[in-house]
Amino acid sequence: MNLQYSGHEEIPAGREVVWAFINEPRNVAGCMPDVLESTVVDAHTFDAVVQVAVGPVRGKFKFHVVLDPQSGGDRMNMKISGGGLGSVVDLTAGSDIAAAPGGGTTLDWKATATMRGPVAAIGGRVIDAQAKRIITTTFENVKTRLTASPPPVAAG
Amino acid sequence: MSTTAEPTPDKYSLGQSMKRKEDPRFIRGAGNFLDDIVLPGMLWLSIVHSPYPHARLVKIDKTAALAVPGVVAVLTGEDLAAHNLAWIPTFHGYDKQMILAVGKVLFQYQEVAGVIATSREIAQDAAELVDVEYEPLDPVVNPFQSREDKIILRDDRENKTNHIYHWEVGKRDATDAAIAASDVSIKERVVFQRCHPAPLEPCGIVADMDAATGRLTLYLTSQAPHAHRTVVSLVTGIPEDKIHVISPDLGGGFGNKVPVYPGYVVAAAASVVIGVPVKWIETRTENLTTTGFARDYHMDVEIGATKDGKVTALKVTTVADHGAFDAAADPTKYPAGLFGIVTGSYDFANAFTELDAYFTNKAPGGVAYRCSFRVTEASFAIERGMEILARKLNMDPAELRLKNFVKKEQFPYPSPLGFVYDSGDYHLTLRKALDMIGYDELRKEQAEKRKRGELMGIGISTFTEAVGAGPSKHFDIMGIKMFDSAEIRVHPTGSAILRAGTKSQGQGHETTWAQIAADELGLDPQNIMVEEGDTDTAPYGLGTYASRSTPVAGGAIAMAARKIREKARKIAAHLLEASVDDIEWENHAFHAKGLPGKAITMQEIAFAAYTNPAPDSEPGLEATFYYDPPNLTFPYGAYIAVVDVDPETGFVKVRRFLAIDDCGTVINPMIVEGQIHGGLTEGFAIAFMQEIAFDESGNNLNTNFTEYLVPTSLETPHWETSSTCTPSPHHPIGAKGVGESPNVGSPAAFVNAVMDALAPLGVTHIDMPLTREKVWRACREASTA
Repeated sequence: MNLQYSGHEEIPAGREVVWAFINEPRNVAGCMPDVLESTVVDAHTFDAVVQVAVGPVRGKFKFHVVLDPQSGGDRMNMKISGGGLGSVVDLTAGSDIAAAPGGGTTLDWKATATMRGPVAAIGGRVIDAQAKRIITTTFENVKTRLTASPPPVAAG
Repeated sequence: MSTTAEPTPDKYSLGQSMKRKEDPRFIRGAGNFLDDIVLPGMLWLSIVHSPYPHARLVKIDKTAALAVPGVVAVLTGEDLAAHNLAWIPTFHGYDKQMILAVGKVLFQYQEVAGVIATSREIAQDAAELVDVEYEPLDPVVNPFQSREDKIILRDDRENKTNHIYHWEVGKRDATDAAIAASDVSIKERVVFQRCHPAPLEPCGIVADMDAATGRLTLYLTSQAPHAHRTVVSLVTGIPEDKIHVISPDLGGGFGNKVPVYPGYVVAAAASVVIGVPVKWIETRTENLTTTGFARDYHMDVEIGATKDGKVTALKVTTVADHGAFDAAADPTKYPAGLFGIVTGSYDFANAFTELDAYFTNKAPGGVAYRCSFRVTEASFAIERGMEILARKLNMDPAELRLKNFVKKEQFPYPSPLGFVYDSGDYHLTLRKALDMIGYDELRKEQAEKRKRGELMGIGISTFTEAVGAGPSKHFDIMGIKMFDSAEIRVHPTGSAILRAGTKSQGQGHETTWAQIAADELGLDPQNIMVEEGDTDTAPYGLGTYASRSTPVAGGAIAMAARKIREKARKIAAHLLEASVDDIEWENHAFHAKGLPGKAITMQEIAFAAYTNPAPDSEPGLEATFYYDPPNLTFPYGAYIAVVDVDPETGFVKVRRFLAIDDCGTVINPMIVEGQIHGGLTEGFAIAFMQEIAFDESGNNLNTNFTEYLVPTSLETPHWETSSTCTPSPHHPIGAKGVGESPNVGSPAAFVNAVMDALAPLGVTHIDMPLTREKVWRACREASTA
């Protein structure tokens, strides 16, 4: 089962601040919902254990997340692979990052998810609802973290 | 020549609605099912399944699973290969199947590793920790894609093609010519979707290797215990006397418990190696995703006819999806089962059918789901074809059928595709159905509703089955002839034990087998204990599936009882001091000719057999009979469904459903009615709800009962049933079998009814299942066209 998602988000923070934030695995892991534990592997990679509850598929999934910042600082690609309970999920995402009028930052993103196993047997609408919740929550957390004080951990 | 007869019950006779002897233990929760079996020191098996439908196995890391306290072993295909158990032959011997994947996985949920642990929970948790690395490959998920051979699925086979076999029967050229020359012809592709028997009790095993005796006991959810014992012996080399298969109470089977599954082999291998009992019980998802599916036939149906509606020729061309291995449970000489019954109840002068089977990245199987081998697919094809032809001829579908039925004086009827139908009166049965349902009034009502724009449909299905495999000259499984057997031992006080090579899964054998013996022997059926499913005690038989129990084992029981009766005749002569030739069997007792008032009962004879045997015969009163039927039997029926369709929602209301069955002699009308209710409910589910579907990536989309629907009493229509009776002339008691008829005959009746309802919209065919969405879309597309 292949699912495709896309969206446009505005973050009330400067482009450099956003770029620095999303280059840091700990920040990204910290913004994803339902993460039970995360382990930073290197500067662009982390592993996460996530509590999943999609229809009858309920339990812990393990994911390997690779951030792939593109030179120029205007695009971030990301690969997530993993699964659990007999299911496999592969997600490829990419976002164009641009300065927005008024000092904010826009993210135009697309993602393709491939699902196999029990999770793929769950109706697309159920998965869509969960995906929407995860995406919304993630961006809300990014916004919250970037507008909070003190500033988040910087890259490098 | 056919006869129509009604049974005349007396105290011991067939045809009485005796309450089921097995039910008291079932309704009290006192049955003994596989999962009730717990042995000391027993370990549990949990299986790791592939999430990929097609992938290379790169690496299996057992380390984390083995580190879990309570885990005893983790087995992979490589481990089994060391014992020559990575692959085993499929049932008809033309192919082999993997037990645990070696090199590649070929379908999603394929078995990859087995974890043995001290509890079910530990085994399941540890299975999650087996780290399998796959290299995904492009999957092939439909047989039409498969036949292009762009991706070859089976590296292990010498022939690098996905094509498994071609099969054909009939006269191709004559049929093509007759269709080309016909006044009217139709051609329609009808698909019988992949569905699943889904017994409420899934499959399982407790394997118990006794190291002291060297004997392997297998408690197995088996519809064919003796066949399974033989397979285990052939595969493992363990002598057959060292294998004891016990099939306990079964919670449904419907063909699903005929094949040998990897869980069985892994549990048995583990028990042999570890030396303690090992238990494996499927989850619902494992049952739906890995064990024997049914159908998956894509059939192009062509019929030629004269303009006044006399059929002239039938051609059916089928593409079959067999999944990853050719594990279809069919007799050796019949790779497409008994699909040749596709001419149905009609007298075709010309007929031809051919079939090509292909591998795909789906679970293997092709079991006879509540039908004789592939008879349901064939019945659906012909009954849909006749309905479509009737519409093209602008002819009433009942009239078309009556015009083309095989006539009762034509029996025994040699069909153009090689069967010899035993008996039937198709006109009588359909006319009874038309009268009972008030067909003419329903057609008038339909016409009125159509004027108001309401969608009402009437669907007919007049099917004929070929069941009771089978005669040894034609039928075998892995070379073993498809006879069946019975052993009856009459005790001194006139009760008896009856053992048979069959295995009930809910059919009520403990009752009906006793009734057959009771009628033959004049004994109380309540005092005849029936025992099946234990290979140490039951005579060898091929088991229960494909509607073969009554046609084959039922014949064996009657014949074994008749052997006893012949011995009893000698004892009666001895007791009555008369010549054996002067002893007559009448009203379930013996008497000397001309002296019916001095009758002697079988109970008295039984006592004498042990206390005062005839001078020239052995003491005791028992017999065994292996019955090799001379022909198949051909049950048939006339089913009529009446539906109302709401075009705004796609909801189909099955307002009435009438089933008239003719299964020859009826042993127990109540059990026959129960069988028909169950089969109709399954047919209803197939027609409207059930499909094992896959997405383009090979994901199985129906892995549990929230996605693969089983109707409850809320959805199930009210069933009206009745019967006619044309006994089989060659069966010892005239019985033909009935358990599968309603599943065979009903899907076409439902679909024909819905298509009849949608006829004003110009809709000719929708493939099953007729979900609300499909019906709604068809209505919507028709209205916007």
